Amino acid sequence: MKRLIPALALALAACGAGPAAETAASTSLTWAIETQPITLNPQQWSQNKVRLLVFNQFDALLTRRADGSFGPWLARAWQVSDDGLTYTLHLRDDVTFHDGTRFDAASVKANLDQFLVPGYNPAVAAIQLKAYKEAKVVSPHTLEITLKEPDALFPDFLASPYAGQVSPASLKSARDLKFGGTELAGTGPFVLDRYVPGQELHYRRNPAYRWPPDGAAHQGPAHLSEITYRFLPEAAVRVGALTSGQVQVIEGVPATEAALIGKDPGLTLKTALNSGTSFSYYFNTSRAPFDDQRVREAFREAVDVDAVLRSVYRGTATRAWSVVAASGPFYDPSLENAYGGAVAKANALLDAAGWRQRDAEGYRVKDGRRLTVRSVTAAPYVRDRRDVLAQAVQAQVKQNAGIDFQVRIVDPGTAQEALDANEYEIFENSRGDSDAGAALNLLLPGEGALNRTRFSDPRVERWLAEAGAESGQARRKELYARVQRAVVRERALVFPIYVPADQIAARKSVHGLGFDPASGTPAGAYDVRIGT
Amino acid sequence: MIRRLGAGLAVLWAAATASYLALLLAPGDTVDVLVGEGPDTPQIRAAIVREWGLDRPGIVQYLAYLWRLLHGDLGRSYQSQRGVGEILATQVGPTVQLTLAAAAAGVTLAGLIAVVTAGRGRAARAAVSAAELVAVSVPPFLIGIVLLAVFSFTLGWFPVSGAAGPAALVLPALTLGLPIAGVLGQVLRGGLERALEQPFALTARARGLTERALVTRHALRHALIPAVTLAGWFTGSLLGGAVITEVLFGRPGLGRVAVDAVTGRDMPVVMAVVLLSACVYVVISTLLDLAYRAIDPQTRS
Repeated sequence: MKRLIPALALALAACGAGPAAETAASTSLTWAIETQPITLNPQQWSQNKVRLLVFNQFDALLTRRADGSFGPWLARAWQVSDDGLTYTLHLRDDVTFHDGTRFDAASVKANLDQFLVPGYNPAVAAIQLKAYKEAKVVSPHTLEITLKEPDALFPDFLASPYAGQVSPASLKSARDLKFGGTELAGTGPFVLDRYVPGQELHYRRNPAYRWPPDGAAHQGPAHLSEITYRFLPEAAVRVGALTSGQVQVIEGVPATEAALIGKDPGLTLKTALNSGTSFSYYFNTSRAPFDDQRVREAFREAVDVDAVLRSVYRGTATRAWSVVAASGPFYDPSLENAYGGAVAKANALLDAAGWRQRDAEGYRVKDGRRLTVRSVTAAPYVRDRRDVLAQAVQAQVKQNAGIDFQVRIVDPGTAQEALDANEYEIFENSRGDSDAGAALNLLLPGEGALNRTRFSDPRVERWLAEAGAESGQARRKELYARVQRAVVRERALVFPIYVPADQIAARKSVHGLGFDPASGTPAGAYDVRIGT
Repeated sequence: MIRRLGAGLAVLWAAATASYLALLLAPGDTVDVLVGEGPDTPQIRAAIVREWGLDRPGIVQYLAYLWRLLHGDLGRSYQSQRGVGEILATQVGPTVQLTLAAAAAGVTLAGLIAVVTAGRGRAARAAVSAAELVAVSVPPFLIGIVLLAVFSFTLGWFPVSGAAGPAALVLPALTLGLPIAGVLGQVLRGGLERALEQPFALTARARGLTERALVTRHALRHALIPAVTLAGWFTGSLLGGAVITEVLFGRPGLGRVAVDAVTGRDMPVVMAVVLLSACVYVVISTLLDLAYRAIDPQTRS
């Protein structure tokens, strides 16, 4: 029912609304976004959906390119010692924070050391900065960072929102440090000057800005003199606001609305695949029936993923073949078409695994027990119509192979309890990490913080550890390819389904919109301008 | 008066305690909430427990909570890491605006329609009844999106979002007010028609009073008693409906804060919202008692 409504609204909207007159030479822009930030402190950042806000107000030390390599930003150059333990950053000497204080090696050190304050951000301290030992100011604009052990992901940290540089003065003086907001001074191309929770964020241009990241389309201050981000959580309302000219840009265009936008000659629609991992089902190997590899394989063979994606996303979704998203440099394309969709094989595998009988409802049975698998998902994390997707998969595995797939969408507490009590067979997840290796480190090792397969393979752990300490990109790619082949093809631990994507729709007059090459999510507003 | 104040405080305490218990008994624990979707290691958990003092027994946490409450300290939000008082302070205004506007829209519409149609021809009554039924039974989400599609996206009369200016308040207030107008209108008209059949109506007509004057001067007072009782109901429906309306229109407000807090088990925020709504109920029911006295002289004993 709820899906019909946006279509209705759009049909109504399309009847009368012509493109509203746009004022020429205007340099202010309104952009409707789906998600409200939990925090505006870049060092507390946790939502990929609001990554587009972070780099308006803050700059990181490095920038990450689409191929996984790094470019200069606030650090104009850097060296890594041969043992991988010392990073020497040569910082720009012409940068000032919004509060007028100078950016220098001491301020970078203050930002790094802030993470050592107990309780400031325990997750980043334990994961991204686990190898951080100390930072030493060598000269006003040279900083030497020492690690306890080599960490290939450390440059990724330096290019992440967590490395967004905050004026040390405001780190001390902010009343709500963890929340951030207008009190935190960054160095970014825009200054946050108004935040109305539940309604909007407003930024004005930083006229002193001269230090965009490597790869930016222009130099000097931002084109727009001001930008308003308005929170509109309902997709139909965002699209209606765009078609009626009340906002000029929106992000988050669901498949149901994409065709309508495409038909409007006054609008453009852009899509990019996210970095990190694909949306996948992870099989819990610690209990029946997925302790048997044949059943894991059978589940994947029983689903025609292309047909499911067509029906749920109307052809706008990209099928995933590996746990690593196809957009990233570590993706292993050799997995494409290597498995899946062979219904006869699924049934043969289940027969061989002993699930021969059928009960009255057509489900397979062994020793009097039905072939039931359960997924438990916390409602707030269900996005992209993943509930509908699960129903489509449910119908296919029932019809094609007699598997009873039970889908439960519950409150976060109940979901966590089911995970802790090991009362689940399928765990749904996708991660938007800019370095896929960071996600694999959480998902795959036996002690991984998000290992829900409860499977540990010493080879996989060794490869991940080696890739984590290795800074050569080619070698890392080779190691991650081995990992992907092992967990997807050899062990069938993961059922990759689709690669999450982000969309931007805008009026034709808005130029310079694009995606952050590191994450595949919408980029900030630095290069955005309004043309004719 | 003192007894009323005491009863009000008891209601507040009961509301706070009941919601505290409910959240305590709900599945999952606070550490899970604070860990969220992110990485989850024993070190991270230990750090969180230390930071929030979650290793203390439940009863100690509860008493500490009450103690802080008595000092006017609502605590800090787990999710947004800000003071709860500060969060509520920024969100109360828009919700008050919205609910007052919606209540005004609902009551005015209901009053107008009931007075105009009571005792009139069958066709007019049937049409209005049908409209009321639609307003009551259609989900507010749908009402809102249709209003938006017609009056904002197509006609461009009102902006879609924001709490900026009175124009942005019209559609949300109607979305929230229409179901109220539907229920209230039916009750009010029913009351009016019953009153018009009473002997006093006959007397008044015999005195030569016009039908309109009879309805507005005499019957309305009788019809108001059940309608006023409903005001208690619609205060609740306004707070609940505010959630949907606020999300749909991208408005700031308490409804959204409450939903986010409940789904995220953000205990301090939930408690504060519960206390605030309990306060509102206590105030409203007191005002209603006073209103009964004003409307019906028999209750002034």
